[in-house]
Amino acid sequence: MSSSKPLPNSSSATILPPANKAFVPRDYSHGTELRFSTELPAKLQGRIPEEVFTAVIGNINQLLIAAETGSASVYLESCFACLTGYLAYICMETQYEKCLRSVSRLVEEYNRTVFGPRNLSMIDPSERGLRVIEIVLLRP
Amino acid sequence: MPKRWEVYPGKSQVLCSGRCISAKNLSVFYLTLALIVISSCLFLAFDCRLLAVTLSPSVPVLAAVQFIFVLCCLLRTTFSDPGIIPRGTPDEAAWIESQLEGPQVDRDGNYRPPVRLKDVQINGRVFKLKYCFTCKLWRPPRASHCSTCDNCVDRFDHHCPWVGNCVGRRNYRYFYLFLISLSVYCLYVMVFGIVNLVLLAFFSIWSVVGLGGFHTMLICRETSTNEDIKGSFNQRRHPDLINPFDQGNGLANCCYVLFGPVTPSLLNFREDEIGLGSSISLVTNNGRNGTVSAAAASTAVTATPAVRYSNLTRNNNDATSNSVGHVNNSVQVISESLPAQLPGDGNDVIVKNGNGAPADGVISGGTDAVGAQNSNTQSASSVHCIV
Repeated sequence: MSSSKPLPNSSSATILPPANKAFVPRDYSHGTELRFSTELPAKLQGRIPEEVFTAVIGNINQLLIAAETGSASVYLESCFACLTGYLAYICMETQYEKCLRSVSRLVEEYNRTVFGPRNLSMIDPSERGLRVIEIVLLRP
Repeated sequence: MPKRWEVYPGKSQVLCSGRCISAKNLSVFYLTLALIVISSCLFLAFDCRLLAVTLSPSVPVLAAVQFIFVLCCLLRTTFSDPGIIPRGTPDEAAWIESQLEGPQVDRDGNYRPPVRLKDVQINGRVFKLKYCFTCKLWRPPRASHCSTCDNCVDRFDHHCPWVGNCVGRRNYRYFYLFLISLSVYCLYVMVFGIVNLVLLAFFSIWSVVGLGGFHTMLICRETSTNEDIKGSFNQRRHPDLINPFDQGNGLANCCYVLFGPVTPSLLNFREDEIGLGSSISLVTNNGRNGTVSAAAASTAVTATPAVRYSNLTRNNNDATSNSVGHVNNSVQVISESLPAQLPGDGNDVIVKNGNGAPADGVISGGTDAVGAQNSNTQSASSVHCIV
């Protein structure tokens, strides 16, 4: 994959973004909750219908927001872990980790059904530290 | 293919093959750990022995449980990821930086650095997001870059040297629980330490302090325990009887009893037991000639009747020495309190006088001519005889 080399920020030369990648940034309009922008990136115009893209990102957002929501089961799980001196975390998986795993499964499914046929590949946001959703254009 | 922890670019220290992460400098953390562990061990080893027996065995059990909880929270705070946001990939960095306004020179010729802020509306309020050039990412709201660890940390609280890590989103609850549990544990140890002290010292304090106080009262009133028991000067029983020995005020009584004249012993145990009226020769010299005095002393001594108390040893060969310590300790103590009218060098003086009070032993501090100082030497000899 060709990508432009990152130039120093004080350089006067133009920084070229990678030609074959589109990035979906985080959406902070609702606070710090885990949400990605549903706006279609410019590079994907024409490659994928906007409503499909919006639906995909919306579904991913739903799972991620659920990961960060405090529900009764989450509070019970935390209290139980506290009582054991947090030694329980060694053997059990937290709600957040479960949600992120379900997001990974969803991304794989979307890659198979939605993005793959359109020569696109979505990278799991966990691989990118939940900063961006990276979509690789497999064929220009 | 290297693991991600092997290529981690920040300044934090990665431990246990990527399972733990902490700040690089852990020296203050070791101090924290040592303080907690050492004081807990001392408490469990010493105080809990008595407390388990006198109060309940649950005291050390609860202390141990709290100690373990405090340690768990501390270790979790120190060695867990505080919420570090992984650095952006080069492609992401290029994409973001291409959108930023580059460095510009405005109309006046001033250099403007690249703009790295963007405005974001959060729940109606405008918030400025900053782009972190080190980590190549738009810093989320509430995140901050820690210069010690060289990471952006989500919901950054502070970098705590006591704990040896940043405190951020992921380890804030462990940090807070560590603080709270340690406070509770400190109070627990303090309370039971005091209880332990009180149990140990209670009776001794009350009895000794009580007795001391009682005798202080007696001294101030210039009465004795016996008189107090009998009520000889008790104002209530005999209201018209005053204590004739009372000097007027408590302070004067104290001064007299505690710092008044010391009476010497009149028993003269160290002197020879002789009947009244036997004549005795008096031998004394000024001790300028040490050998002579020693010889004279030794001969004089041998001429006298046997000493009744032979536990006091005598050293006649060192007659010129001022100290009588080599005779025995008790004699040295007394010789230091000899009255001033016995100046002079250390001598051996064997004094016997017509009153039938034979002198024996060694006097330090010398003595004057015998005849004029009979009573003095007698008292001096008697002083040094008795403890």
